[in-house]
Amino acid sequence: MDPLPEPVSYLCGDCGVENTLKPGDVIQCRECGYRILYKKRTRRIVQYEAR
Amino acid sequence: MDNESPKAPSVDKFQLVPEFLKVRGLVKQHLDSFNYFVRTDIKKIVRANDRIQATRYPHLYLRFLDVKVGEPSLITDGSVETISPQTCRLSDTTYAAPIYADIEYTQGSPDNLNKVPKRLIIGRLPIMLRSCCCVLYKRDEAELAKIGECPLDPGGYFVIKGTEKVILIQEQLSKNRIIIDTDKKKNITASVTSSTEKVKTKTTIVMEKEKMWLELNAFQKKVPLMVVMKAMGMENDQEVVQLIGRDPRYGFLLMPSIEECTKAGVSTQAQALEYLDKQAKGKHPMFNNMQAEKESRAFSILRDVLLANVPVREDNFRPKCIYVAVMMRRIMDAILNKDAMDDKDYVGNKRLELSGQLISLLFEDLFKSMTTEIRIAADKLLEKSDKAKKFDFLTILSRDTITLGMERTLSTGNFDVKRFKMHKSGVTQVLQRLSFISALGQMTRVQPQFEKSRKVSGPRALQPSQWGMLCPCDTPEGEACGLVKNLALMTHVTTDEEEAPLISLCYLLGVENMEHLSGEELHTPDSFLVIFNGLILGKHRRPQRFATALRKLRRACLIGEFVSVYVNEKQCCVYLASDGGRVCRPLVIADKGISRVKAHHMKELKDGVCTFRDFLRNGLIEYLDVNEENNAMIALYEDEAKLETTHIEIEPFTILGVCAGLIPYPHHNQSPRNTYQCAMGKQAMGNIAYNQLRRMDTLLYLLVYPQRPLLTTKSIELVGYDKLGAGQNATVAVMSYSGYDIEDAIVMNKSSLDRGFGRCIVMKRYVAVRHKYPNGTKDRLMRPNRARNDMQILDDDGIASPGEIIRPNDIYVNMQSPRDTRSTGSTANLPDSAYQSSYSSFKKCHGGEVVDRVVLCNDKDSNMCIKVLARHTRRPELGDKFSSRHGQKGVCGTIVQQEDFPFSEKGICPDLIMNPHGFPSRMTVGKMIELLGGKAGVSCGKFHYGSAFGEKSGHADNVKTISKTLVNHGFNYSGKDFIYSGITGCPLQAYIFMGPIYYQKLKHMVLDKMHARGNGPRTLITRQPTEGRANNGGLRVGEMERDCLIAYGASMLIFERLMLSSDPYEVQVCRKCGLLGYYNHKLKTGICSYCKNGEKISTVKLPYACKLLIQELQSMNIVPRLKLEDA
Repeated sequence: MDPLPEPVSYLCGDCGVENTLKPGDVIQCRECGYRILYKKRTRRIVQYEAR
Repeated sequence: MDNESPKAPSVDKFQLVPEFLKVRGLVKQHLDSFNYFVRTDIKKIVRANDRIQATRYPHLYLRFLDVKVGEPSLITDGSVETISPQTCRLSDTTYAAPIYADIEYTQGSPDNLNKVPKRLIIGRLPIMLRSCCCVLYKRDEAELAKIGECPLDPGGYFVIKGTEKVILIQEQLSKNRIIIDTDKKKNITASVTSSTEKVKTKTTIVMEKEKMWLELNAFQKKVPLMVVMKAMGMENDQEVVQLIGRDPRYGFLLMPSIEECTKAGVSTQAQALEYLDKQAKGKHPMFNNMQAEKESRAFSILRDVLLANVPVREDNFRPKCIYVAVMMRRIMDAILNKDAMDDKDYVGNKRLELSGQLISLLFEDLFKSMTTEIRIAADKLLEKSDKAKKFDFLTILSRDTITLGMERTLSTGNFDVKRFKMHKSGVTQVLQRLSFISALGQMTRVQPQFEKSRKVSGPRALQPSQWGMLCPCDTPEGEACGLVKNLALMTHVTTDEEEAPLISLCYLLGVENMEHLSGEELHTPDSFLVIFNGLILGKHRRPQRFATALRKLRRACLIGEFVSVYVNEKQCCVYLASDGGRVCRPLVIADKGISRVKAHHMKELKDGVCTFRDFLRNGLIEYLDVNEENNAMIALYEDEAKLETTHIEIEPFTILGVCAGLIPYPHHNQSPRNTYQCAMGKQAMGNIAYNQLRRMDTLLYLLVYPQRPLLTTKSIELVGYDKLGAGQNATVAVMSYSGYDIEDAIVMNKSSLDRGFGRCIVMKRYVAVRHKYPNGTKDRLMRPNRARNDMQILDDDGIASPGEIIRPNDIYVNMQSPRDTRSTGSTANLPDSAYQSSYSSFKKCHGGEVVDRVVLCNDKDSNMCIKVLARHTRRPELGDKFSSRHGQKGVCGTIVQQEDFPFSEKGICPDLIMNPHGFPSRMTVGKMIELLGGKAGVSCGKFHYGSAFGEKSGHADNVKTISKTLVNHGFNYSGKDFIYSGITGCPLQAYIFMGPIYYQKLKHMVLDKMHARGNGPRTLITRQPTEGRANNGGLRVGEMERDCLIAYGASMLIFERLMLSSDPYEVQVCRKCGLLGYYNHKLKTGICSYCKNGEKISTVKLPYACKLLIQELQSMNIVPRLKLEDA
């Protein structure tokens, strides 16, 4: 199998701090307590068709 | 020439409109009514039902001292946090604020009573955005941006479980007013719908066969009116005649009714009551037996049901008698003089019910339910006598009744308030966020309450009285045409006002109290009755003076600005109104034709020294409702004012609503075209709000490069359409090209599309929830198997990451669910085998979409909720729908290379070509002027205006001046250009009318509609192909198509379409009995189960639906038999 993956981090919708979530965690920013988190943009290279 | 206009320079009053909208906002009617509820009404309701008492122990009680609505906040595990509407939208929660109540309750025994005051929360009230409780109240642009809210968003809606809900304005017939009408048998009736805090009843007086009758629900059938008068203590016929009036014609009309009464043998009050008792319906829920024994039933009906809005104090029925007499008089007037009839469609006879009123009704019901719940719970607990000492009200207080009731009603839109006998559905709607205008238009929509499907034209027709109040253009086409209306730009809807001070003021101003007047005095020729909110106060000898006095007080702001005074000369009545739901609008006051608003006032306004409120306070402007408009002489323009003019319009374009306000030069168009545009403007794609990219709607249409219209109107600027436009300025050539432009199709320039014309974004939301199950197990997110082709866009956490390109059937959340979600056992570490895959994938997607954003949040059961927003950028293609702002829609017929496009001498090449046949029959001259104005605008570098009726006041540019500008910039004055053909390079024979027109892209796109099918799914019971594009259904050859084929004689085609390609089936038919048999696979023969043999069996092909029908008929004891013949 793959090597142990890095935990995925999420951005807080209010203060923008990076958070890591473990399975079973409540979705909440550790810094400000905001309850909406956004996923970060993909790190892969993507090529869009701009027509 | 003494009637000529008094000479005064005209003042540009336009600036008043933006000032008005600044203090009012676009949806002030909603906000005002909600604020009224929160500030006053809620307190009134609680005060009226403030005491909960234990039935057995009256010393134990709970009393509500006061209520207050707090700040919108959420209480999670003890901590309070304020919430913003945007977080509520994103996390699917309700934007609600706690309702605090100051209570006082007792504890202990009667001799050792302990009063405990306390403040607690009795529930949560959904808060209207931008109302006085909202966090957005009085915030400036920067603060709003910080909260994540669009400053141009009007508010006025609720956020319930993450969806935006609007309570539509409901139109109703006014309450507590006498309305003269005819019934089905053409009898003249006078009816009053009485509505008080306690009851809602309808009283009707009918003139049938020359006699007067009373219709009341509490009576079995109609009863003679004179008997009712006698029962109310008016035993003397002479007095009745006097109350109605001395005119001998009235007496003559009344004679048969009096005779009827004598015929019934009723001459005293006791006899009358006895007579009515027999007519009274069985047990009325309102009167329990105890009461009925004490007094006669008829008596209580007369007191409480008949004309319930007229109060009876100490059993004094005189006010009611006078009221009935006035109703009779009105009926007789109508008989003697036909135009005394009331018009039900007259806007003055209508009331608009707003969200605040509906919410208050709902709250009252829920609050009463809560108090009875508490009382019942208390009584139950106190059944055992020793409990009384320890009893504590706080333990049984529930908060869910109000919170859940409010949330449920607002999210479903079903108002089921049993206490008020109200059952309405579809009161709330999801706010349409197709475009900024569609949301705004929905807030100003007025929905009718009474029966819809009538084919009568009366209620649908344009009413002269809706001038300036309701938009004459904005109404849907088809079924609801003319019934659903929209408010005009400057309309205000009133809220209730305190009555008592106004009534006492009336008496001070010389109204003679009705109670002190004899019947004879009531209708003396030159005195007018004074009627306040449908209640007769008395009479006044100098009505005009009285009305002027009241108006002066109103202009001095000593009484409410929305109180209306209306002298009706015909009915000899002065009507005062302070009730809620009347529509009114501001007008400039004029004295003898001279406007009170002078140039220096406007300058002060412009400099910001004074505001619209000051204009009201200084008596320069006042609000008039529809009734009072009848007493006013309103001049459209200042210079048209005559000596008798009392008011001057502020701006004529304000008669249109927000949707019609977008149309340039609407007064040059054929009227239905404007109506079409009002409907289409709501489907145009564009900007929705400043926060549009942070929203997570299920479906969102955006335009990539929206533009501000070159030809604007004043309304566009007021509404904010110039900031959140929904369209692009396209250079249009009006000419024929290629034949792909017939029937309104448009030829488009391919290079324009490359440059971004009509390019749009469609955002779609996909949701996956990680569930928890009752046995403690829960779903889990899995790391993707990188080898699998459909897991390429997933991140290590098993969720698609933003920025990835989606292919059809890609997985966006890789979830696994436990197989066993019921049994309880050790749930800590389940093996992998206990899980099954339950991933979610992009099934119906076109490919080429991009994951825009992924949001994680908790839903209300604290499950993890993953929302994925997929973004699709589309360029226009063949068949996409476009429209100008003049009701001229068309689809894209073909896309042509710019090389082949015609071009002008200056090298200008149009973005699209429109067929000139679109003009003659549509008569949209406004579109032509828009083209001219737009062309002049681009050449001289300024925006031109085309406000409705604006040429005179300078808010619309004249064609003459536009032409002049065109000539100055080297164009032909008529807007025509010298054009070369793009294909041959030769000059075209004709000059081409070419210039920019604002074009909207409508949401109907081919990509969402195209559909074809070969084989596919079939429905289970009939085995015929499914229906509709969503189910990958077949295309139906319907009845009419079938008729054509029959007429043509294409029988084999019918056979093929209706059976072979649909649901062919083979059955075994017995030739002997004609019933269906079956095929025995062992014996390899068909067998008839009725004849018990397989001798005369034939195999027949028929549609499965036919076989099904035969069997269904058999199950109903009908035997269809098939008779077979050789073909």
